Amino acid sequence: MANLKEIQRQIKSVSNTQKTTRAMKLVSTAKLRRAEELAKRSRLFAQKTNQVIAEIASRIHCSKIGGIDSRCFVQNDAPKTIDIIFVTADKGLCGGFNLQTIKAVKRLISDCSDKNVNFRLRGIGKKGIEYFNFNQVEMLDEVKNLSSSPDMQRSSEFMTRSIKDFKDGIVDAVYLVYNGYKNVITQELHVNRILPVEVTDFDCEKTTNTVLELEAHDEEAMLDSLVTKYAEFNMYYALIDSVAAEHSARMQAMDAATNNAKQMVKSLTVKYNKARQEAITTELIEIISGVESMK
Amino acid sequence: MPTLELEVLTPSGSIFHGSVKSVTVPGEEGEFGVLPEHVGLTTLLQAGVIDIIKDNGKKESIVVNWGVVQIASNLVTVLVDGAVAIRGDSESEVAKALDEAKELISSVADSHSMIASVSARIESAAHHQNHTHMI
Repeated sequence: MANLKEIQRQIKSVSNTQKTTRAMKLVSTAKLRRAEELAKRSRLFAQKTNQVIAEIASRIHCSKIGGIDSRCFVQNDAPKTIDIIFVTADKGLCGGFNLQTIKAVKRLISDCSDKNVNFRLRGIGKKGIEYFNFNQVEMLDEVKNLSSSPDMQRSSEFMTRSIKDFKDGIVDAVYLVYNGYKNVITQELHVNRILPVEVTDFDCEKTTNTVLELEAHDEEAMLDSLVTKYAEFNMYYALIDSVAAEHSARMQAMDAATNNAKQMVKSLTVKYNKARQEAITTELIEIISGVESMK
Repeated sequence: MPTLELEVLTPSGSIFHGSVKSVTVPGEEGEFGVLPEHVGLTTLLQAGVIDIIKDNGKKESIVVNWGVVQIASNLVTVLVDGAVAIRGDSESEVAKALDEAKELISSVADSHSMIASVSARIESAAHHQNHTHMI
């Protein structure tokens, strides 16, 4: 009989868990919708900004605008020190979401060690920070409670510190690692080099055909403020993209958890019924054999 | 008559998208107007007002605090940090947009004369909007 009670207790506990996971899934679904909307509205701006910057960068690369040797645009193939900025969630229970980012950061770190490059970590999000603190990897800068509620002001402040170090020549490159939103069921890991501006495909032939004028008497200053805005906005966009991805990951994880709990309750119920049947049979046998012996 | 394709984007979404006859933007070096067939140009904007004349002849004003404009073959892309469009279906909506716009300007501009001049521009734009409503 004790066995029966034990199983009953288990069923109750599992179905309680199921209730929790289902509620969490619903919460994430609602939050995802909002985060997705936010990310969608910013996506166009992100694309355009990057386009404008990339165009300027490729022009500078093709020396169409002479005399600019801003650190932000010069491609540096052998950096000595790099900044790695990563964005993880503040909360867990979202499947492999945080771990994927952490793994990507670790890959970058091991790359750095192979090439004898110094690295500095700047982290956003409790989970990643806790992981690296636990593994005794030194963190230069850490911000908590920002990734769950992205805020332009705070993300700019955070990014400004990194940009300043880059401009002062303390670091030679700034990388941004985050897990972004692709669609409801997939997340996409991004490892982007923010500074110096990455020029992926420069087509010098093509760019010479169109005219570009940088109309400002101080081109350097103009590019400077443009790059700052570009970096700050990329940071902010990474945050909102990451929030959307986090919610979608959590939604999936909680959906899977709910289904697993359902399966578990089912098999436990079967087990319970079997045990009950067994107990009844034993009891019946006892009664019958008692009656038999009395004859 | 050829028209320009104008797009005003902020980090939180597009604020204007459509074809226009001309657009005047507050460049860092001073205000300048853009008509169709303008030469390719990329420059910074300062806090001020973007005046748009739409292809149906109607005017619209957008107040911005910072931005960059890219002009390339009849496509004008304005990327701004914060922007408020002076428009609305009723007088009260316009008034609300007006307050927001003034707030935006006073948060970025450092000189009083600049705030005053932009405020005056906004007021006149709002007045124009209200006037159109009355008609």
